[in-house]
Parts: sequence; structure tokens; C-alpha cells
Amino acid sequence: MTTFSLLAAADAAAAKSGNPVDDIIRLFGSFGVDWHHLLPQLVNFALLVFVLYRYAIRPALGQMEERNRLIAQGLADAKAAEQRLADAQKAADAKLNAAADESARVLAEARASAAKTVEAAKSEAAAAAAEVLRKGQAALEADRARMLNEVRGELARLVVDASGKVLGQTLDDAQRARLNEAAAKELAR
Amino acid sequence: MSASVRAEARRLLALSLEGGAVSSDRVAAMLAALTGSRPAHTLRPLLRAYLAAVRRELARSEATIEHAGPLSPEQAAAVAAHFSRALGRPVRPVARRNDSLLAGFRVRVGDDVTDLTASARLRALERSLSA
Repeated sequence: MTTFSLLAAADAAAAKSGNPVDDIIRLFGSFGVDWHHLLPQLVNFALLVFVLYRYAIRPALGQMEERNRLIAQGLADAKAAEQRLADAQKAADAKLNAAADESARVLAEARASAAKTVEAAKSEAAAAAAEVLRKGQAALEADRARMLNEVRGELARLVVDASGKVLGQTLDDAQRARLNEAAAKELAR
Repeated sequence: MSASVRAEARRLLALSLEGGAVSSDRVAAMLAALTGSRPAHTLRPLLRAYLAAVRRELARSEATIEHAGPLSPEQAAAVAAHFSRALGRPVRPVARRNDSLLAGFRVRVGDDVTDLTASARLRALERSLSA
């Protein structure tokens, strides 16, 4: 029997009796509802619902909640990891910047030190060259003075020897006697 | 030679002087007195020291005059008199000719030398030219 046919039968019954409660009871009866079996069926249904809820739905809900919790925790962990990653990235960037600054500073210091070393080496080399030049000039001057002295001494020796020989050959006893007399006078003074 | 031997030799020398000059008579007397007065091994160093002292004293009282050309005895005596006055003791002249000195004379009294020769002047000239 279709719904429309049942409604049509109910309308027809209502039209015949005129009491609505009786009409409903008749209607449920026409539906096939057995009041004697309805309560056990309700109890059975409640038991079924309890069993299903106790052993199927509630564990499933617990698992779902656990899974939701795990998902939420995973999301939170992912967010925290993302935050940590961002922090680490910032720290790495800061360290990179600091390292770049430090390397630039070290490079500048190394360049300055190298420049100083080069300047010191230049100065030292110039001083050494000047010292070598000075020593060379001093040695040349000493050699020149020594040679000049040697030449002068040799010349003086030659002059004296020649003068002695000339005097020895030219002085006679009369002249020597006069010179001796002059020496005696010089001694007496 | 020990200091005591030299001191004794100086005392003997002082006893050998006569008028500030070494007297040969006194020296002979000293030697005669010393001979046989003590053993030979102690007498020999004393005699050597005495001989050295007498030689030094004779050199101090002797003006050795080396001269080029003639030097009269009067000139030699005048030179010795000059050193006698300067040293305050009698000095006798001993002249010796040496023509390598060219001209003038050189006098040595003890360790003192006075050079008035032409060769010395030339050596001084050579030193001044070499300096």
C-alpha cells in the first residue's frame, strides 16, 4: 500500500467515525504497528544503540578525537617547526651577516697589516741600502785617505832621503863645523 | 836578582862615589873588601848588581856626543858643561864622530838624548810631511 492510498484510507475512516484518537489508532493499526511488540523492539533498539555506541561509535569517536588531536598536534608542531625554521633562518642570516662583517673586518685588517709590512720592508730596505752606500763611501774615503797618506809618506821619505844624500855629498868639514857651532849655540840658549 | 841584592849594590855604589862621581880607587877598594868576605854563590849576584849600578852611574856622568864633521875639544867641553849645569852633577864629555848624522851633534846622558843633528831635522820634516 502506498502512502497516498493509506492517507486516503485514513480520510475515509475519519469521515466515518468522527473521533480523532480512534482514527489515529486505526491508522497505526492500518500501518501494522503492534503495540505488544513495540516496547521489546524499543528495548532491543536501545540495547543495539548502547552496544553500538559502547563498542563501535565511542571507540570510533575516540579514535577520531585522537586522530584530530594528533592532526592538531601535528599542525601545531608543523607551525612550531616553521617558526623554529624561520627563527633558525633569521639566526643563520644574522650569523652570516656577522660572519660577513667579521670577514670584511679581518680582510681590512689583513690589508692594512700587509700594507704596513710592505712599508716597513721598504723602509728597512732603504735604510739597508743607505747603510751599504754609507759604508761603501766611508771605505772609499778611508782607502783614498790611506793611499794619500801612503803617497805623502813615500814622497816625504824620498824627499828626505834625497836631501840627506845631497847634504851628505855636498857638506864639507868646514860647513859641518859651522853647523856644529850653530848647534852648540842653540844648545846654550 | 832579589831586591835585597839590588839595595846592597846601591849602598856599595854610594860608597864608591867621590865628589858625585865614581872613583876607580874606591871601586877597587870595594872589590878588595868584598873578595873573600862571603861565599862565591852569594857574592856573584851582588857583584853583578854592583857592576850594573856602576855602569848606570858612569853613563849618567858621561855625555856621549855623536857629531858629524869636526867638533873641537872646547866645543865638547862646553856641551858637557851645559849638561853638568842642567843636571846638577859633573858630566864628562865622550865625543864620537858619525858623519851619517849629516851635521850637528847628538848628546846622550844616561837615558836622556838631545838631538841637534841635521838628520834628526830631516826625520822630523819627513814625519810632518807624512802626517
